[in-house]
Amino acid sequence: MKLIDISKILEAKVYSGEEKLNDLEIDRAGAADMMSDVLAFAKPGMLLITGLNTPQVVRTASIVGIATVVIVRKKQIPAETIQAAKMFGIPLLHSPLPMYTACGVLYAHNLKDIRAF
Amino acid sequence: MKPTVDKLIDQMQMLFKDLAAKDLMVPNVISISPDRTMEQAKELMRLKKISGLPVVENDILVGLVSIEDIIKALERHRIHDPIYKIMTKNLVVVSPDETLPQIFDKFTRTGFGRFPVVDDQKRLVGIITKEDILRGILEEFRLLYVRDKRRQDVIDGEALNRSLITGEEINKLGADFAFSIDYVEVSLSGVGAARLKDFLKGRGIEEEIARKVAIASYEAETNVVIHSGSSGNIYCFLYPEYIRVRVEDHGKGIEDLDKAMQEGYSTATDQIREMGFGAGMGISNMHRYSDKMVIVSEVGKGVIVEMQFFLKDAANSA
Repeated sequence: MKLIDISKILEAKVYSGEEKLNDLEIDRAGAADMMSDVLAFAKPGMLLITGLNTPQVVRTASIVGIATVVIVRKKQIPAETIQAAKMFGIPLLHSPLPMYTACGVLYAHNLKDIRAF
Repeated sequence: MKPTVDKLIDQMQMLFKDLAAKDLMVPNVISISPDRTMEQAKELMRLKKISGLPVVENDILVGLVSIEDIIKALERHRIHDPIYKIMTKNLVVVSPDETLPQIFDKFTRTGFGRFPVVDDQKRLVGIITKEDILRGILEEFRLLYVRDKRRQDVIDGEALNRSLITGEEINKLGADFAFSIDYVEVSLSGVGAARLKDFLKGRGIEEEIARKVAIASYEAETNVVIHSGSSGNIYCFLYPEYIRVRVEDHGKGIEDLDKAMQEGYSTATDQIREMGFGAGMGISNMHRYSDKMVIVSEVGKGVIVEMQFFLKDAANSA
């Protein structure tokens, strides 16, 4: 699925990586709030849905090779998180949907989980 | 093959040479008082399935009843005699601070199967058998947790400049990558690992390996920020066959490493949990992604994590 479509489905605001919206293909996603879980289980190229908005999320994404980060739940995204995302070239989206719904709608659009890797 | 084995044994000796009797012994030993009869000693040994029974009077070790002593007493119809008349009095004992090579030497020289461990007041504090030594070494293997004296040497002294895994010299000034960890600005946690990953990729290291190194280093870096209360450093060394990472701090140290190793155990604060850490997965993640890992810690002196990542193996299994 194209990132632009994902951003529409999630009604998301794009904070970084606008230039990749039309080209980036995402076919796996997962959700976690625990960065150690992400470090342990995430797969390169996946989309991460998380309730955290600290810069650690972006650093974790960069380290494990997560292609896109979607932040849910939080009202605001700290400037340093956005800055980190821009620095690492990772698209950063902010969706107003609850985490459960965000996962559900993407799943309904055939976005797979990470098991198939 | 032989030279390899010899070399391995040498290295093992290096690793275990400072394991002391007090680390290996079984404390809370079953003992008997000298005015009991040999018959009672025999029964106790039978019930507890032990082949040597220390004889203790007012906490002081005065002798040992062996199977041989029991047989002698039976043969000479003296099984109802008090123990002190029959027991072995010339004892070879071990002090709690005697180290593995010294203990081993005693086993070899005497041919005995066990030694009582006594303190400088001659009080019995434990007993040590070859099985205890084997068990102690196996435990060390699981995670090389260097205790007491050796820990101090490692953390204070020149051992700091040697690899904890291979024993070879490490020149930290010559590290291929170095980063100093800012523990005050908690939000900077992870910057070092991210830079390390960039560095590795810049050096042409495969993504999959760079990723493993960075993940394990991220956890180590986060641990310094979360737990140490001190500054720390990340050093990375590139070798033709592997990558070595050292993460050091000079902080509080780990009180109970066995506990720290347990997945889910953490002493992290809410602020750390806000960041998505503090779930008690740090050490297990380091273990998961590195090929070899050694942690050395002394309370109040800091923690050193050394990890090795093989280039070939990683390439094959990726």
